[in-house]
Amino acid sequence: MSSMTNHQLLNPQDHGHLRLLPRAGAEPHFAQIVPREFVAAAIACPILFSKDPATGAFYAGAMLGLKPGEGALKNIEERGGFEPLSLQRDGFFISGERIAIDRANPRFSETDGELLFDDAQPSTSLRRVQQVLGQLHEGLEQTAVLVRDLMNLKLLEPIDVSLNFDDGERLRLEGLYTVSRDSLRELEDEHVLRLFRSGHLQLAYTIAGSINQLAILAHLRNRKLAEI
Amino acid sequence: MVQAVKRVVIVGGGTAGWLAAGIIAAKHRSRIPASFSVTLVESPNTPIIGVGEGTWPTLRTTLSRIGVSETELFRQCDAAFKQGAWFARWTTGEKHDGYYHPLMLPQNFSQINLVPHWLAKNDGRSFCDAVCPQGRICDDGLAPKTIATAEYEALANYSYHLDAGKFAPFLQKHCCEKLGVRHVLADVRRVHLSENGDIRSLETEQAGEIEGDLFVDCTGFKALLIGETLGVPFVDCSDVLFCDTALAIQVPHATDTSPIASHTISTAQSAGWIWDIGLPTRRGVGHVFSSRHISVDDAERELRDYIGPAGKDLPMRRIPIRSGHRQIFWKRNCVAVGLSAGFLEPLESSAIVLIEMSAKLIAEQMPVCREVMDVIAARFNNTTEYRWGRIIDFLKLHYALTQRDDSAFWRDNRLPETIPERLQHLMLLWRYQSPWYHDEFDRIEEVFPAASYQYVLYGMGFRTEVEPDIVAGAANSAERAMRENLAQIDKLRAGLPRHRDLIRKIVQHGLQPV
Repeated sequence: MSSMTNHQLLNPQDHGHLRLLPRAGAEPHFAQIVPREFVAAAIACPILFSKDPATGAFYAGAMLGLKPGEGALKNIEERGGFEPLSLQRDGFFISGERIAIDRANPRFSETDGELLFDDAQPSTSLRRVQQVLGQLHEGLEQTAVLVRDLMNLKLLEPIDVSLNFDDGERLRLEGLYTVSRDSLRELEDEHVLRLFRSGHLQLAYTIAGSINQLAILAHLRNRKLAEI
Repeated sequence: MVQAVKRVVIVGGGTAGWLAAGIIAAKHRSRIPASFSVTLVESPNTPIIGVGEGTWPTLRTTLSRIGVSETELFRQCDAAFKQGAWFARWTTGEKHDGYYHPLMLPQNFSQINLVPHWLAKNDGRSFCDAVCPQGRICDDGLAPKTIATAEYEALANYSYHLDAGKFAPFLQKHCCEKLGVRHVLADVRRVHLSENGDIRSLETEQAGEIEGDLFVDCTGFKALLIGETLGVPFVDCSDVLFCDTALAIQVPHATDTSPIASHTISTAQSAGWIWDIGLPTRRGVGHVFSSRHISVDDAERELRDYIGPAGKDLPMRRIPIRSGHRQIFWKRNCVAVGLSAGFLEPLESSAIVLIEMSAKLIAEQMPVCREVMDVIAARFNNTTEYRWGRIIDFLKLHYALTQRDDSAFWRDNRLPETIPERLQHLMLLWRYQSPWYHDEFDRIEEVFPAASYQYVLYGMGFRTEVEPDIVAGAANSAERAMRENLAQIDKLRAGLPRHRDLIRKIVQHGLQPV
């Protein structure tokens, strides 16, 4: 993969002829997601928290695969159409009040794909990206509020995942956190009510319940190992 | 009717007083304030000595149990990480002479004693580097964890260097706001005794009379309750540990990006040693010496030479050291914690760890009533006297192992009559078998574990006879442990941030509680 990037502020003068292709290349095994995506994510993959290595801050992610570098174990269709916003926006960034693009991203082409601008106005596909970026931006703030709430009630706990595969490999997943079901059960009534009203109780149970998807992913991985 | 112990009164608001208050109040939190109270009486006029900026890893457990945030410790106490100590020029006095006493145990310490294997191998690698990665981490100036490691958790074992002058107020705030400790600012005018000789109350200048069931003397060198009031004598040990004076200077960093050592540097001099402790804000440097062996002027010259041009004209503080401890620590309804209990040169940062251990013992064994207090007191005295003895032995070991011949100070330190008998026996034993997990150190909470003795002994060139059969029998596991050590060195060196960078990130972003 090339590490060359070329960031440019998006504008119809410079990018009037630029076209957008669908995202290409393997999906990461762990992709950042925001609270509005939790329900859709949880039917297909485990939702876990991890820490930003630069700041130590928690962020939520969907586990699409089990091993770094191996990519996703289910395709989008098998995930019921779930594609994390953070992948949908591939190549686009928020820069202050404006949108920037990484011109070096292979999604951008002069010849193929859908135009980003129609007569200097954002095209349908660009408007979709704008919406995705907006939802992500808002979602990051919602995640921070959720994390603070979960931390204050001591609901986040580290989870050590150790998986054995049929080829003899033992995989240890480190640096992951989930919502503790035990701590949820022990919550005092006033906190339960507050969490329920804020919508965080449902998110907490969605995260806790999604852990079951780990076993399904492990099973899938074993099956793929057998196919090779 | 039994006389219940419900009111603990701590006198003195330094590190010892507030740590004791925090440890006792946290342990009895569920009883406060209904059936138990912790009151700390502090003079508004007495300056805090603020000894010991070095701590022991036990402080992580202690602070976590008290419930303070590690992030706030870094933000408010100018804390830095400490991963052990580098002892320079202690063995031969030559320029490159030095060894680490790290805080990590040797690899697989509970399973295998690597000392004989390392001795048999004799491949030029230092004992520390052969068995643990921490020396290399310190060489590189790396932190013992990352910003993604939870509060109080470690990738490499650590304790702290901190500004003791900020640590006591930091604890005070937490104790008063979160743990329900009552803080009384008042000077003690008189101490009233009951007919049976117990302390009944304190008569104060500003807050009237304060009664208590158990009094904790944290009044520092003054030892107001245990010494002045109850007359428990002081046992001097300057015949074993000669240093009696310290000169301290605070040295600013050259720039605010200068690297900070993540270990204490202790450099031997002609009649003592110099500590060098890096905080984010400054270095604390001090010379601990024996005034029987060097004049104060010469000692100051050695200290200023050590600091170099950066230390020119910086103000210096002189601190007398009286090495020794109380004959007993708990008498009647009064127990001494901190400097009132005793003091030893800060060679292995034993002051704060001893405060923690004493306060923990008081908190855990808190006598329910006066009738059983003497039983608990006897236990406490027994354990605490043992601990002081072991610290004195361990400090003396650093001196007893020296090969230096360049001054009377070092030669005198090797005289058998200055070495405690127990230590002499151990040094004889260690010539034939090395200290390990379970052989010598039988107390559950030793101040210094057998691993510490290993690091000092073999760091200072001590030789233990090696039995070839023993080495051969476990050669494979020893090889594996040393290989694992090399792998761990690479992994940690690749993943750990620079010490100052991590402190900056902690102050900026904070560490997560999990």
